Amino acid sequence: PTLFECRAAVTRVEIDVFFNFHVLFVFQGKWKNKERVLVFSSRGINFRTRHLMQDLKTMMPHSKADTKMDRKDKLFVVNEVCEIKNCNKCIFFEAKKNMDLYMWVSNVPHGPSAKFLVQNVHTLAELKMTGNCLKGSRPLLSFDPKFDKEPHYALLKELFTQTFSTPQYHPKSQPFVDHVLTFTIADKRIWFRNYQIIEEDASLVEIGPRFVLNLIKIFQGSFGGPTLYENPHFQSPNMCRRLMRMEKAARQKERQMVKEIRLEKRKEVKEVLTEDVTDDVFVTPAEEKPKEVEHEAPRPSKSKKKKKLKLTELKKRTLLKRKGLR
Amino acid sequence: LPSLSLSFLIQLQEAFSKGLLKPGLNVPLEEPKKAVNNIEGLKMCLAEFKKNLPWVERLDLTNHPAVDVLAKIEGTLNKKQSSGEIDAEDDFQREMYFYRQAQATVLEALPKLKKLQIPTKRPDDYFAEMAKTDQHMQKVRKKLMQKQMAIEKSEKAKKLREQRKFGKKVQVEVLQKRQKAKKAMMTAVKKYQKGMTDKLDFLEGDQEGKKGSTASKSQMSKKGPNAKRKYKDQKFGFGGKKKGSKWNTKESFNDVSGFRAKTAHGKGGKKFNKGGKKNKRPGKETRRKMKARK
Repeated sequence: PTLFECRAAVTRVEIDVFFNFHVLFVFQGKWKNKERVLVFSSRGINFRTRHLMQDLKTMMPHSKADTKMDRKDKLFVVNEVCEIKNCNKCIFFEAKKNMDLYMWVSNVPHGPSAKFLVQNVHTLAELKMTGNCLKGSRPLLSFDPKFDKEPHYALLKELFTQTFSTPQYHPKSQPFVDHVLTFTIADKRIWFRNYQIIEEDASLVEIGPRFVLNLIKIFQGSFGGPTLYENPHFQSPNMCRRLMRMEKAARQKERQMVKEIRLEKRKEVKEVLTEDVTDDVFVTPAEEKPKEVEHEAPRPSKSKKKKKLKLTELKKRTLLKRKGLR
Repeated sequence: LPSLSLSFLIQLQEAFSKGLLKPGLNVPLEEPKKAVNNIEGLKMCLAEFKKNLPWVERLDLTNHPAVDVLAKIEGTLNKKQSSGEIDAEDDFQREMYFYRQAQATVLEALPKLKKLQIPTKRPDDYFAEMAKTDQHMQKVRKKLMQKQMAIEKSEKAKKLREQRKFGKKVQVEVLQKRQKAKKAMMTAVKKYQKGMTDKLDFLEGDQEGKKGSTASKSQMSKKGPNAKRKYKDQKFGFGGKKKGSKWNTKESFNDVSGFRAKTAHGKGGKKFNKGGKKNKRPGKETRRKMKARK
């Protein structure tokens, strides 16, 4: 049972629980690392993206929400929104064509920003993910060693660390460390997973959400600025769809061509190689029959009716036999 | 060679048939786009952007996945995986790779956290809001239960089917055995009848088997109609003159075997139930009254 109550271990008098918790754990230290993340989206997102945003807000107690941004406004408006909300990091979701989801992660005033294509989204609400964690507990972050090998990955690692790690002694955070976020590089994409720590021997259960990030570009400024890195392996979803359609079209064209070639071949005048004198020896023209004009329609064939009669006849016979009259 | 799409090949074909192409290798003019990779820029940016926070604030770790114990035991350790190349298509392997990476992190981080006195275990009396609601967790539990039940049911069904098959097998075997035994017996008897064998071994063979199984039965059948049979055999059976013999001879007078003490004293009245039941038919008057009442 999870209630908003908590029993204080130290004081015997029962004070208001929430206050107690703060006194015991949180206010033991001062919240110095002032990270605030603004999580919001553009218009036109579908239910899955909305749930994903909600889940991220649940996971990160140092996050703030904002209303949807109009697509008319240019991207650097986002910086202003973040300033108003006093946030220094931003996760911005952009949905295009109701199909493709793009995610911007950025350090707002001057810092680098990165744009990703998000795929394979599974939210917290999926019943196959059976783990659970405290709301607002601090996560452990786990990175693949490949993040240290290339400069663009190293930059991304720093960005993720600053964005996703909950600051210590944040007022909305829980003091326990009971889940771990993993970032792994596989197939030239970044895979994100969230696991709950059950036992001290590192047995884990997945909590969710989970998604795959495909890096597009890294910019020097926030939501703009010179491009520092462009992913050569990235193919925009439009391109993918276009290629598939072109393939289909090419196949159809090929079929058409083959048909046409066949028709042309048939129409071609075939050359006779050599005339054989003995060819017409055995040709005997057929006898000429007088042309018969039929004035009446032909009689319908009796075969089917006969069959029908046969069946009924059989039935009759069996009936009579049973009755003992035959 | 640059990869040529099918459409481009078809175009080439058409052009060639029209006689526009010259012999030789024809390559499309477009150059591959060079992706921007400003390494110095990236490093500078990273240096500027980096916040040198103590580990307590960040709680991040970079590590290889933990060694796959099971695979090692089975001997199927994939060399590729140990170097870090994961096959993204193989779902199970991929997820296990992520899982092991998280495990390695946890194993490394927990002692560090203990040193810094950051608790990792939630005490039992600490109730707080969880990321997923209770309702949701109940749904999850339900689903898991359903899955388990389905598995159990299918297992049961399989076992039943197996049992039935087995039972049928056993039944068939027993019947066959009996038939065989019967056949053997009959042939042995016929052989004896025809005089091919003198020995009556087959009978004995049967008896031995029967004795072993019907030891308890013979004990029961001692008390059966033996006494009656005995008397009747004696009276009407073979051997000796019966008609003219005396009845009250010295031997018959001294023979006390027919004496039952309880019956003599009128106390053995417990075996008369059937007769008693027959006499329980009500008398004429009672029957007439019953009829009248109806």
